[in-house]
Amino acid sequence: MVSVGTVVWLSSELMFFAALFAMYFTLRAAAPEMWATESAKLNVPFALINTIILVSSSFSCQMGVFRAEDLKPRRTGGLFNFKEWGMVEWFILTFILGAIFVSVQAYEYTELVHHGVALNSNAYGSAFYMTTGFHGLHVAGGLIAFLLVIGRAYIARNFGHFEATSAIVTSYYWHFVDVVWIALFAIIYFLK
Amino acid sequence: MKIESWLFLGGIFFFIPVGIVYGVMTEWNEWVGFPALFMVAGMAGMIGFYLYYTAKRVGPRPEDRLDGEIHENAGVIGKFAPWSWWPLMLASAAAVGFLGLAIGYWILYLGVGLAVIGIIGWVYEYSRGDHAH
Repeated sequence: MVSVGTVVWLSSELMFFAALFAMYFTLRAAAPEMWATESAKLNVPFALINTIILVSSSFSCQMGVFRAEDLKPRRTGGLFNFKEWGMVEWFILTFILGAIFVSVQAYEYTELVHHGVALNSNAYGSAFYMTTGFHGLHVAGGLIAFLLVIGRAYIARNFGHFEATSAIVTSYYWHFVDVVWIALFAIIYFLK
Repeated sequence: MKIESWLFLGGIFFFIPVGIVYGVMTEWNEWVGFPALFMVAGMAGMIGFYLYYTAKRVGPRPEDRLDGEIHENAGVIGKFAPWSWWPLMLASAAAVGFLGLAIGYWILYLGVGLAVIGIIGWVYEYSRGDHAH
């Protein structure tokens, strides 16, 4: 029941991002010369590394889901024995990777503001910060969700399907946000 | 489950052709319309494929079979709170937060603080106290 609701909600989230894409392309069509000059200021290799970090967090998240489905919340081996990791360890790794993504993006924002691309500078700045910013807020929300799920795993004496379900739906959300970023990245940094 | 899967999957067969027609008629130069139409197809597909694969996993349910009996659907279908004050708490926090956007930013901070209490209270309602397990 929880997972059906999550998928329906995520499909509506897809339309939210569709509206942001529509905004981006509307402004791009209205001011193509601005897009040419402003998008040249983007640091593509830097953003590519950040993208790889976010995509890898999706894999660690999925490993955590597999452990949650095995009803294995905590590791049974040493800290670096990845095979014996439980859901909590994989989700903490996911949290760290997601936090790096958001931090690097914040750093990228400061760099761009120094180069004169700000939210209030022009249409390109508005489109760039609204699209990537709303995505960043989604990532930050996902990080909070991971903390809550990890907390549930710690608080439960018997890790059961109640805890596993919340872990699984959080992973749905995380994968969704990840896929949206890949689309955003392709549009903003490559299509330009 | 077949009908509800195809009810949503049917959207793909409408929106993808419409998106292609839109793209051809605008010579793929207008980037607002056809990505949006393809994303609507994606929205329909997300729900449709989810229902389709869930149906494959759980097999035919009693309501899908002509000889299904009502009692076959008995049992636990999910965890639902019979009563909970936390949704009200969280909704009130959101209301306070939006009031802050309209009146003054200092109220927004109150809303955020209440929302933190509301979310934690809601998420851990069945993990602590009498419900600790």
